[in-house]
Amino acid sequence: MKRTLFLALLSAGLLSLNAQAVAAEGGAKLTDAQIKAIIDAQPMPTGKMLADNCSACHGTLGAEFNEAMPPLAGMKKENFIKLMKDYRANAFPTIVMHDVAYVFTDAEIEAMADYFAAQKAEEWTRPDFKGAHE
Amino acid sequence: MSQITRRDLIKIFGASAVATSGLLGASKEAYAKSSAHIVIVGGGIGGASFAKYMRLANADVKITMIEPHPQYTFCPGSNEILSGHETLENLTVNYNTLKSRFNVDVIQDVATEINYEGHQVNTLHNGKISYDKLVVSPGPDFDFHFVDGYSAELAEGDFPHAWKAGPQTAKLKQQIDSMPQGGVLLISSPRMPYRCPPAPYERASFVANMLKETNPTAKILILDSKDNYVFQNHFEHYWKQNHQFGQEGSRIEWIPAKKGGVVTKLDATNKIVTTTSGEQIKADVINIIPEEKAGRFAIENGLALGSNWVPYEPKTFASKVHPDVYVIGDMVDAPMPKTGYVASNQAKVVAAAINDLLAGREPGTPFITNNCVAMAAEDYGMTITATFRYTGGIKDKGFSTQVRTSAITDNPYTNRIRAEVAKNWQRTFRKDMFS
Repeated sequence: MKRTLFLALLSAGLLSLNAQAVAAEGGAKLTDAQIKAIIDAQPMPTGKMLADNCSACHGTLGAEFNEAMPPLAGMKKENFIKLMKDYRANAFPTIVMHDVAYVFTDAEIEAMADYFAAQKAEEWTRPDFKGAHE
Repeated sequence: MSQITRRDLIKIFGASAVATSGLLGASKEAYAKSSAHIVIVGGGIGGASFAKYMRLANADVKITMIEPHPQYTFCPGSNEILSGHETLENLTVNYNTLKSRFNVDVIQDVATEINYEGHQVNTLHNGKISYDKLVVSPGPDFDFHFVDGYSAELAEGDFPHAWKAGPQTAKLKQQIDSMPQGGVLLISSPRMPYRCPPAPYERASFVANMLKETNPTAKILILDSKDNYVFQNHFEHYWKQNHQFGQEGSRIEWIPAKKGGVVTKLDATNKIVTTTSGEQIKADVINIIPEEKAGRFAIENGLALGSNWVPYEPKTFASKVHPDVYVIGDMVDAPMPKTGYVASNQAKVVAAAINDLLAGREPGTPFITNNCVAMAAEDYGMTITATFRYTGGIKDKGFSTQVRTSAITDNPYTNRIRAEVAKNWQRTFRKDMFS
């Protein structure tokens, strides 16, 4: 009984230490199997849901043409897919994209490729913007 | 669409005619029948992102933003003001583009109370505003009670925390610039969670780099209420290379919580802080970064359900209090760091969810990243990539986390390019919501 309590306290202590380290880095490390289970359990996010996460660096709708980070709007589907898969595989050195791309499945990469291929290759904000029904 | 939208009216009559004529005499209620009215409380990163992405998704909804200030100053980049690499002016934007291009009715006012059943939000000067959907994004408030003797008044006076970019940032810079030769800047870094976890150390770095030139015998003492922090390896690596960190005469000293780093008391008159170990430390400039909690509007309207942070439905970020009220940003009790990057992506999830619900569709699966950047210097950047996938779970607050941080390298080009990525990110991020 005492030993159980001691172990419980010990593991609680370790947990809180671990929790603090985890909090600093943003979360606990998951295994590949756990990640796959999470992905499989839900419908895939839409291409737009996935791709709109790119806007902080690549601009709204991927259409930032004035910065060092390249625009994605209007990119050919097959080019986007090849690049993302190369990043995911760490095929060549990159600054950050290998650490961005490794989380995406083939289907997610294709959905994002379709989304960006459908965007106008013009600097955001386009003065002719009229909302979603343009 | 057979109904005439506000946008169509603008085409016909011009924006000013619509604004001043009150839609040809029609009341706000009459307008609300023709399309959903979405009201946003708070025009920061969360609120502005939501407004723009809601409009990108839907040309017809009426969007109203209630924000007390005529302009917004970004916190990302504001540590660089302290070293003279950035200006408040450059980080400050107005709401003109949201108003003119995205047809958002921005009301400069203070939201006070939500009438959940009546679907109305009360304001100080504009009375009650009816909504179909309400998005609450007021950001955090500071919680001063963890440090006895510290207060909001002192923060506005001689002890700026400068954890919201603005006059306090300018004041802190002026204090650091006028430190005596060999003076001490004391930074108290709070427990998690707080806005932008690496920022206290980024702040120390930028100030140290400047002091190396202007006041080389000055010291920075970081008293930490934690035992570790994000990018610790990067900051210590940089400080070792540039500020003799860990050696005799180091320009930066870091005291973790376990070695007495937690500040418990401020003696403002004598500029002395007391720590948990009972030590009293005097400094020339004292920068206590306070703990945080959900903003007062959220707390007072019961959105936090009695706690300090706001619970939410993970799939849509709907409030637990009422399904037509959505909660985003730093105040939300999500298993994600409190960053502008996360707030903007939560905002996009809510915009997509509301757009789906208005069209009678089931909201899709959310997906949120925090692919963020920090700097130790203009030529030393670091990156973190965190992905939050929807799990539908309860224990994990609905999201799993995958995270990587950039590796340490002595390649000066890599470190420099990472810093350029950070600066690119700051500019593009600002444009992503305000242009």
